[in-house]
Amino acid sequence: MSLKNCYNFSDFRNLAKKKLPSPIFHYIDGGSDDEITLKRNTSAFDDCDLIPNILTSVGKPDLSTTVFGRKIDMPIFLSPTAMQRLYHPDGDKASAKAAAKYGTFYSMSTMANNTIEEIANISSGPKLFQLYVHKDKSITDDLIDRCKRSNFDGMCLTVDTLVAGNRERDHRTGFTTPPKLTVNSLVSFAMRPKWVFNYFTNKKFELSNVVKKTEKGTNIAKSVIDYINEQYDPAMNWKDAEYCVKKWGGPFALKGIMSVEDAKRAIDIGCTAIMISNHGGRQLDGSRSPFDQVKAISDAVGDKLEIILDGGIRRGTHVLKAISAGAKACSFGKMFLFSLSAGGQQGVEHLLKIMHDEIYRNMVLMGCKNLKELNSSKLIYRN
Amino acid sequence: MKLKDCHNFNDFRKLAMKKLPSPIFHYIDGAADDEITYGRNTSAFNDVDLVPNVLRGVEHVDLSTTIFGKKIDLPFYCSPTALQRLFHYDGERAVGKAAKKFNTMFGVSALATVSVEEISSIIDTPKMFQFYFHKDRGLNDSCLERAKAAKFDVMALTVDTITGGNRERDLRTGFTSPPKLTLSSLFSFATKPMWGINYLTKGKFELPHLQDYVKEGTSTNTSIGNYFSTMLDQSMNWKDAEKLCAQWGGHFALKGVMSVEDAKKAVDIGCTGIMVSNHGGRQLDGSRSPFDQLAEIVDAVGDKLDVICEGGFQRGTHMLKALSLGAKACAGGRLYLYALAAAGQAGVERALAQYKAELQRDMKLMGCTKISELNRNNLRFR
Repeated sequence: MSLKNCYNFSDFRNLAKKKLPSPIFHYIDGGSDDEITLKRNTSAFDDCDLIPNILTSVGKPDLSTTVFGRKIDMPIFLSPTAMQRLYHPDGDKASAKAAAKYGTFYSMSTMANNTIEEIANISSGPKLFQLYVHKDKSITDDLIDRCKRSNFDGMCLTVDTLVAGNRERDHRTGFTTPPKLTVNSLVSFAMRPKWVFNYFTNKKFELSNVVKKTEKGTNIAKSVIDYINEQYDPAMNWKDAEYCVKKWGGPFALKGIMSVEDAKRAIDIGCTAIMISNHGGRQLDGSRSPFDQVKAISDAVGDKLEIILDGGIRRGTHVLKAISAGAKACSFGKMFLFSLSAGGQQGVEHLLKIMHDEIYRNMVLMGCKNLKELNSSKLIYRN
Repeated sequence: MKLKDCHNFNDFRKLAMKKLPSPIFHYIDGAADDEITYGRNTSAFNDVDLVPNVLRGVEHVDLSTTIFGKKIDLPFYCSPTALQRLFHYDGERAVGKAAKKFNTMFGVSALATVSVEEISSIIDTPKMFQFYFHKDRGLNDSCLERAKAAKFDVMALTVDTITGGNRERDLRTGFTSPPKLTLSSLFSFATKPMWGINYLTKGKFELPHLQDYVKEGTSTNTSIGNYFSTMLDQSMNWKDAEKLCAQWGGHFALKGVMSVEDAKKAVDIGCTGIMVSNHGGRQLDGSRSPFDQLAEIVDAVGDKLDVICEGGFQRGTHMLKALSLGAKACAGGRLYLYALAAAGQAGVERALAQYKAELQRDMKLMGCTKISELNRNNLRFR
């Protein structure tokens, strides 16, 4: 199996599974607890059907939209995800270049393995930075200042990770960052010699953006879970978020909003966008899926800020449904991480091309010339 | 597989399956008829989604709640279950000590294998005694008096076992108490020699609350279904329950209430709590799950007595959902029985610690720091 055999999410996932040591594959693939929410994030789309219109002289549909002050060529982008060098030696560089090539956002996690400056140097495409509020406030300030200097377009603050979710697959595989060899994982690493070779022959693994500020950033074997629980501030509140919005002074999103009430408060503190997300089903299992909740939020605040639906996207039709229900754009993590693991920059580009083609084809089939024509009249919910 | 590999309910279940002779495992694991209600008790939680709130400053989470006038540190407790020494030789001692460590309530069954006197001498935290209404009134009085003398805090009268449920797995495995060797179970007992050695060497198996009154208390092999059907008084009615409630004179609960009408009657006869329960799906198959029925019962009587939701809980998020609907606390049997079978007191402690950690984490992710902050705004039904 190679990249050219990858036609959809499952194919990329299968190829990634072949390439990655199993603890690392399961770190991407897993959710929290019983993974009920992880599954629902995608299956929610199947409880809703698209109603096409015909004979609309659709021509060549325009897929562009504007988020975080930047026009993007299609209504999807790469969610911020941590530690991309675990998946491919090029890490964030690969995904940033691929996103720029397809005219859409790449997002950098606070826990990236490349620095803000490195990425700014190689990509002039749209860039979003994802912020965690650390207990040490100087880390937060430093990150915001550096993003400003490096001309990132937008900032998002993750608000659903005050404590790490219960990712049981990681308990079983013994996943830590940097990867630690245990008896259980040894076999799996040994069977993926190419991954191991790349990992050790490339630049040292580190959380580049915070490495100077915390000792956890470098070589202490910690699970992500422990990092989150030790470094992030569980006392974070609306005042802290407002401080970040003001300090940034540009397009700003809260990532992980699920209630209408919180969406309204996001407007009050000056946010220009929200990302409806349950962290890919990796945090609170049993929580509502973004697609199940997007319409209620869009009805309440859709005219006042940009709504990004994050989570569960596997297909172009999922994007069409999300936009019809009120999202401005969609983002995804797992899907592009599998493509990154499968083939680096080329893999991500391959995925973005497939997604572009699916959205384009389905817009034609829906009889829509541009994304504005997608609205709730295009959807019928079952039951 | 070892205790330290147990990260959730299912892991404990698997380990228990390895440790127990199969008739005993299936006695815990099984339920009535086609086990539809048993499955629904848990799957009901998946038909409702949690909607969290963010940025609320959630450093410290308080999981305590007050039920039956007692403050407990966790919003869940160990339901009374019968015959615990069959599952682990320490039986009720192990469960009681684990519950004490976490300062939550635990229940001792009338069919317990350790006496109320012994329990009370080692456990000073809140305790519930679970009572079956026997035909033999002398036995009933004795149970009540002994529990009172042993300073139990709550009396729970089970009202859903007027006859034994059709537990087909027990029919197939030949489960009886005390265990009887049959040809088909012999192999299973023989392959779990540790269980057999412990059973035969760690003290005689007995039912101390019954043994002075019924021969089933000691040596006669009987199935639980048969016991319910022959020993319990099927003429039990609201008058009997009211009398018992008065005779007890303290906190009194009916265990196994499912209808709003009955919940209201429980208020009328002086109960201070009810356990909404279908006996873990082990009695009337096809009956409604406690979680499905919880809201209407809370709406009707939630301000007049403590409504406990019992059955189906396997996760902290399940408990959050029940508490959001208005349950005062959650309770379960299998919740800790697999863990008891897996490793005795250490197992139960690990299970309780995991549920506690899950609840603490899930409360933070919900943006809540107190149980009283959970309400129906947190929920959306699909």
